[in-house]
Amino acid sequence: MVAASPTLAKPADARASLFEGWRALADNYVARRIGKAVLTIWAVATMTFFLVRLMPGNPVEQFIGQLIAQYQLPYAEARDQAASLFAIDLDQPVYLQYFSFLGKLAQGDLGTSIKSQGVKVTSIIVAFLPWTLFCVGISLFISFGLGIILGALMAYWRGSVLDYSLTTFGSLLHSIPNYLIAMILIIFLGVRWELLPVVKMRGSMSPGIQPGFTLVFVLDVLFHAALPILTYVVTTVGTWMLTMKASTTATLEEDYVNFARAKGLTDGRIRTAYVGRNAILPLFTQLTLSIGFVFGGSVLIESIFVYRGIGTILVSAVSGRDYPVMQGCFLITTASVVFANLLADLLYGYVDPRVRVGQ
Amino acid sequence: MIQDNTLAVRRRQAIGLAGAVLGAAAGAVPATASAQYGMAGKSFNGAWPFDLPPTGHYNSYATGNLNLGIYYDLMEMPLAMYYWAKDSWMPLMATAWETNAEKATFQVKLRQGAKWSDGSSFGSKDVVNTFMIQKLLNNVVWRYLDRVETPDDYTVNFIMSKPTTTVERYVLRMNIRPSSIYGEWANKVRDIVNAGKTADSDEWKALRKDVSEFRPKSQVVTGPFMIDQKNMTEAQLSLVKNASSWAAKTVSFDSIILYNGETPTVTPIVLSKEVDYATHGFPPATEKAFKDLGFRVLRPPTYAGPALYFNYAKMPAIAPKAVRQAIAHAIKRDIGAAAALGESAEPPKFMAGFSDRLVDKWMTPDQIGKLNKYEYNLAGAEALMTGAGYKKGSDGVWVSPDGERMEYEVTVPAEYADNSALAQAIAEQLTAFGIKTTVRLITFTQLTPDTQQGNFQMVIQGWGSGNPHPHFAFVADLVTWNTPAGAGPGMAYPLIQKVDALGGEVDLDAMVTASAQGLDKDAQKELISKLALAYNELLPNIPQYERLGNNPAPEGFRVKGWPAVGDPIFDNSPYADSFVIMLMLDGTLQSV
Repeated sequence: MVAASPTLAKPADARASLFEGWRALADNYVARRIGKAVLTIWAVATMTFFLVRLMPGNPVEQFIGQLIAQYQLPYAEARDQAASLFAIDLDQPVYLQYFSFLGKLAQGDLGTSIKSQGVKVTSIIVAFLPWTLFCVGISLFISFGLGIILGALMAYWRGSVLDYSLTTFGSLLHSIPNYLIAMILIIFLGVRWELLPVVKMRGSMSPGIQPGFTLVFVLDVLFHAALPILTYVVTTVGTWMLTMKASTTATLEEDYVNFARAKGLTDGRIRTAYVGRNAILPLFTQLTLSIGFVFGGSVLIESIFVYRGIGTILVSAVSGRDYPVMQGCFLITTASVVFANLLADLLYGYVDPRVRVGQ
Repeated sequence: MIQDNTLAVRRRQAIGLAGAVLGAAAGAVPATASAQYGMAGKSFNGAWPFDLPPTGHYNSYATGNLNLGIYYDLMEMPLAMYYWAKDSWMPLMATAWETNAEKATFQVKLRQGAKWSDGSSFGSKDVVNTFMIQKLLNNVVWRYLDRVETPDDYTVNFIMSKPTTTVERYVLRMNIRPSSIYGEWANKVRDIVNAGKTADSDEWKALRKDVSEFRPKSQVVTGPFMIDQKNMTEAQLSLVKNASSWAAKTVSFDSIILYNGETPTVTPIVLSKEVDYATHGFPPATEKAFKDLGFRVLRPPTYAGPALYFNYAKMPAIAPKAVRQAIAHAIKRDIGAAAALGESAEPPKFMAGFSDRLVDKWMTPDQIGKLNKYEYNLAGAEALMTGAGYKKGSDGVWVSPDGERMEYEVTVPAEYADNSALAQAIAEQLTAFGIKTTVRLITFTQLTPDTQQGNFQMVIQGWGSGNPHPHFAFVADLVTWNTPAGAGPGMAYPLIQKVDALGGEVDLDAMVTASAQGLDKDAQKELISKLALAYNELLPNIPQYERLGNNPAPEGFRVKGWPAVGDPIFDNSPYADSFVIMLMLDGTLQSV
């Protein structure tokens, strides 16, 4: 009996230890947030997998439709061509396709393109994503920087002509869709007034330019990115301006600001150390979320300017029902938003100590 | 004036500054790049959508390739191209051909002395290898071929298992690929064919997959142009001259620049006068802008267009042919055509089931005279309805003898503005006639599966075909969206019908199949005429218009020599046998 006790106690101890470990993990804020993020990505990946297959028409039917519409091929001929060109098994049960997808996903394999057979989705994303990150990333930071400066100015001088003008301007830009701005830029600046060489500015670089860390390449890339960046900045800066204005206005009415004034601190010190730092906090979360969406690119802007990016490839994949590429693009976007959100949660505590205390 | 100029300068400065928000200094550098590339030499500028590597590639057998539509014929050249109006051919990689009816053989003599761009000689091995891989890919020509033989280096015999005149076009329009790139694959096909494997075997499927995934590193061509692989961007690519091509000397241009994109993204480039020819479907408003700029707009026939299809399983009241004839009389087709595509929509005059342009080539004047033109005639339409026992209800809607109130939906893809406008025009006219019709918009990707599966009452779908043989038009009219296609019930129109013009019951399906069989073209004409008369009487669907291209072709910027309006070359289908390519190859189109 005595000898048996330790033997019996061992599994119990192990179980208790496991339970304690699990509990500690569950109580850990960071671990909990990471677990939630992984779960979210799995849920979205699963939904995406099934939703893309619920879209009307599969890749073969889409291709048949294209052949009939564009080349007036008889259905049978179009079907023969399509069936022979797509070496895919769409008759495999969906659940088997799903488990295969999950298995590969766990190994970091997003599958191969249906439209361009044999080409790995990861290689497509790697080829297109950097351009989106560059273009939309720069746009975001310009837009954010410009927005908070103008927003703060509007709040400091609220009621002035500057405030009214910029508020109207910001609201107007906020309400115009980005593709409309893009088309306006092309039609008016390029075609009607011939102020910009829009034909040369299409794409992400000029023919004949060799990629590399050279001034020629960098300037060429900026030249081609200028219109997409301008469009993105113009259509998003209004949101940042208005949000920053609202946040700054609210902060200016806080007691500690009045106290700082009563203490005789200079306006400059109050604006930077007291108002600016606190007013920007609500925008911080929004910024991190926007950084997540950078990965999704801007589908319409990239398409209109024929800019190399994840948005362009997504449009092509959706129209051709290239399931693996669609899944890959959606997954990248989802994962980046989720991780940006996670990052925001984790960093927010450092930026705003009150949140840390609340936890 | 001075003040205006100052304002203009300020505006330019302001907008220029805004336009260069981040790349302000960049303007000068790409200008240099552009000067180095593309703008030099005599270029022809076109537009075609394409994907760059890694999605785009040089395997011309696989999807996602960089074949570049009509421009493909300038690279991996076909054996010949067809003059639709003259019913004759432009020899390319073939120089002569003939059909031996007794031996059921189509023999092709190849161009001698032609070279591939990699220096290898062009010959019969390239042709037979191309057709071997097409066999693997289940190309439609192999429905009629038994085997392909090469008696010598420049002769190829196509031995038919089911003799048909259509083999000529299938063979001559085939783009021939280089054995230096695809020869090994052709040998693998030969191996599995000799081993007795069939298309449903695992070996066959595996090889097909391997061929689809094959990615040649470069393009090897016989034609006068090849892709400049080092200078492709997602915005444009260039085809540069292949000096070793036999056709290089007659082509006036040094390069062809192709701008990437569909209609919305290509439109500003055309408006900027940077495109010499585009086949994109431009809406009437854009076309007007082209005309305002003085651009010539070419209107080649596509030999196809939209028709009003009925679902006979869901609309029993539509079953009597008199009702469909009444509908044809009740719709003023000009209205829908004008609303859809303006001058680029041509309502059919003969209602024969295939393009009016081909009717006199296949039917005698006497037979043509028997075709009902179904001119707009509301009184005649009413008479046909009442004659069939239909009565109007108190609300003005027709009711069939079986009590079916004629209220229906017409389905149309929302994204196709031309078809949506057409459907709206039809709906308004039918409603005014007493067949209450509403337009049902669906997304374009839903159209094919819904039509196949019979999920519609009326639908706008295609009639006619971009093939000079009317057999293919009747396949589109009667078979494609009908039960025999096997993909679903479709319009569920019974193909055994009593036809007064033919004196009794006929099997339309059998007639369509037979119309392309055999090597006796006169016998085919007889069948085609019978099919036309049957179609004209039965109207299983009602063609609304034939779509013409509205291809901007501005002259004088980089290109000159476009033939005059009415030239027979413009009867060529813009996709099936592009007149632009043929005019380049015969030297008619010249650089400025």
